Amino acid sequence: MICIIALVVFGILAIFSARHRPMAKEALDCVLRRISFRKCESRLDVRLKGELTGKIMRTHPGLAKFVFNYFEWLSWAFIILTVLSLVYTGIGGYNFYKYGNCNGKVNGEDFCIFDPAGKGKFSGLVSNYTGPVVLPSLGKNPTLGPADAKVEMIEFGCYMCPFTKKAEPTVKMVLQAYEGRILFTFRDFPITEKHEFAELHSLAARCSNDQDKYWEFRDFLFEKQGNMSHDADGMKSLALEFGLDMEQFNECMDSKKHIATIEEDVMAGIKAGVYGTPTFFINNRTLVGPQDFEKFEKIIEQELAK
Amino acid sequence: MNIEKIRQDFPVLGDKIKGRPVIYFDSACMALKPRQVIEAMNDYYLHYPGCGERSEHAFGKKVTEMVEQSRKTMAKFIGAKNPGEIIFTRNATEGINIVANGFDFGKSKSNVALLSEKEHNSTLLPWQKRKMKGNARMEFAEFGREGFNLDDFSRKVKNAGIVSVVYTSNMDGSSVPAGEVVKIAHENKVPVLLDAAKAIPHKEIDVRKLDVDFLAFSGHKMLGPTGTGVLYGKKDMLEKLDGLSVGGGTVMDSNYDSAKWENAPERFEAGLQNYAGIIGMAKAAEYLKTIGMDEIEKHEIMLNKKASDAVSGIGAEILGPEKAGQRGGILSFNLPGMDPHAITIMLNESRNIMIRAGRHCVHSWFNHYKVDGSARASFYMYNTEEEVDAFIDEMKKISGMMR
Repeated sequence: MICIIALVVFGILAIFSARHRPMAKEALDCVLRRISFRKCESRLDVRLKGELTGKIMRTHPGLAKFVFNYFEWLSWAFIILTVLSLVYTGIGGYNFYKYGNCNGKVNGEDFCIFDPAGKGKFSGLVSNYTGPVVLPSLGKNPTLGPADAKVEMIEFGCYMCPFTKKAEPTVKMVLQAYEGRILFTFRDFPITEKHEFAELHSLAARCSNDQDKYWEFRDFLFEKQGNMSHDADGMKSLALEFGLDMEQFNECMDSKKHIATIEEDVMAGIKAGVYGTPTFFINNRTLVGPQDFEKFEKIIEQELAK
Repeated sequence: MNIEKIRQDFPVLGDKIKGRPVIYFDSACMALKPRQVIEAMNDYYLHYPGCGERSEHAFGKKVTEMVEQSRKTMAKFIGAKNPGEIIFTRNATEGINIVANGFDFGKSKSNVALLSEKEHNSTLLPWQKRKMKGNARMEFAEFGREGFNLDDFSRKVKNAGIVSVVYTSNMDGSSVPAGEVVKIAHENKVPVLLDAAKAIPHKEIDVRKLDVDFLAFSGHKMLGPTGTGVLYGKKDMLEKLDGLSVGGGTVMDSNYDSAKWENAPERFEAGLQNYAGIIGMAKAAEYLKTIGMDEIEKHEIMLNKKASDAVSGIGAEILGPEKAGQRGGILSFNLPGMDPHAITIMLNESRNIMIRAGRHCVHSWFNHYKVDGSARASFYMYNTEEEVDAFIDEMKKISGMMR
């Protein structure tokens, strides 16, 4: 059944090279014969088996013996692997097209062959929301920049997600480059399915805002990501280390003072079609994942030019 | 015979593939070419590339002289009395086709062509084609694993109009007892055509001693260039033979409705000839004579014996006679349970050892005896014992692969 693999391999090569077309044709003929229980007359299978075994025989006679004797089994194993990998590649391709990451809505942190640099990665969630898409507003969140700026940039992010953290330097570059011309806000989108304490982080950030330390504490949260205890005690230790008023902070955290605002943010995100973080809305245009500065720049320039 | 010196005459033996030297054991299909043959051909193209027998300028005269000299060389090579009995052909196949198409059985005689069971398609098919046209019948003398059955032949030749048999089989190296075959046939007044394609590179052949009527062979198996061959025919037999192709060079004169034909051999050599090839083939014949046919045969048999003993020892089934001495330079074999094509490919991939697999254009024999095919190693003068040792090593590895 090596002919099937030969058909796939030579078939792909034949697209780019005329030299491989006769082999692809031969492999196709061989496959058609084998599936109709006839002998492969071109002996393509014998040739491939002989060539492979002969090559291995040069240096590893023992391995050559194994390959020779289990060639049919190995061929089947390769066929199954080939089919599986084709299916997975197809799914990955679809996901990459649909979600910007080949791993789909969830497990966005895993390696994606279509995106080896990991730029399209995000952390995601699956929502049951089926209503109309509603573009998000600034919400009740702290903002940076003039209120009448021509361009609004809303980030839906999660303090525990590595890709939200990864996007931070670019966000800072954007804010610096377009200072005075852009209004920015960060809306909470804690992916609690993946990061158990994500919501606590959002609460902590909100509580820091009560002490007018929001942007500084937000930076501190990202800085400490992965290097601290992320539970409630961990948050308190972090606030202590940062220098917040602990009595006020503890009360805010224990009462979950800002939970409703966070839930509003999450709902706003879901209604806007956000499935993972970070997701940016620049006016009514979207960027998903930790993208390059140039991508932000392109969109912002276009929006400013309007 | 100095093998190392001989090997220096074959430039391709110095080549390497994937960093390893080439071990060529496929001379039964195509012999390698010595430098002398290549240079003789180049000499034609470089220094007198003209038309033979037609043009009277310096090139024309030179090529005519060289071709006629080559005819003499080839006549001498096979012991023919008269160079006019040498017809240049494209190969043995064309020579056999000329006879099979143009031979006149005569009105009162039998129109049975008696072949052996081990005929190459080059002999089988021309007679089969004539049979299909309805002006010949075919009989086959037994030529099984035990060898040529002379008794069976003696019985069948009584009803034959011509005997057309292979001298040495390219399939397994076995030979018909050509002298006895011709003698018995002539006792029954039946002429004989021998396919000597595989005999000529290895045996001393004297057509007058053999008393054979026709003998066909190719140049490419006897160190000569491709696209060359010879059909020898006794003068009186050629006179009665009709040509296969006609055209330029086959007539002395022609009108719109008639032609005055040339005599043999020109009558059979239609169109412009392969001058470089003919000159190269004659050079190959000279080269073989210089080495000595007896020496060549002895060397091949020595190599074949060594290889045959070894492959027998690993369980291979050898086609043809058991004794290597009766198979010349050919070792045709099967390893039970292994496709012969796989053997050839593995040898090629692992150590650049080139042998051939298949039915060797003797499909009829394989079909009749229900054998799928065979792997065939064929040795020649330029092969060494070290090369055979390498072949044996690899064959041991291959046979060891089977569970």
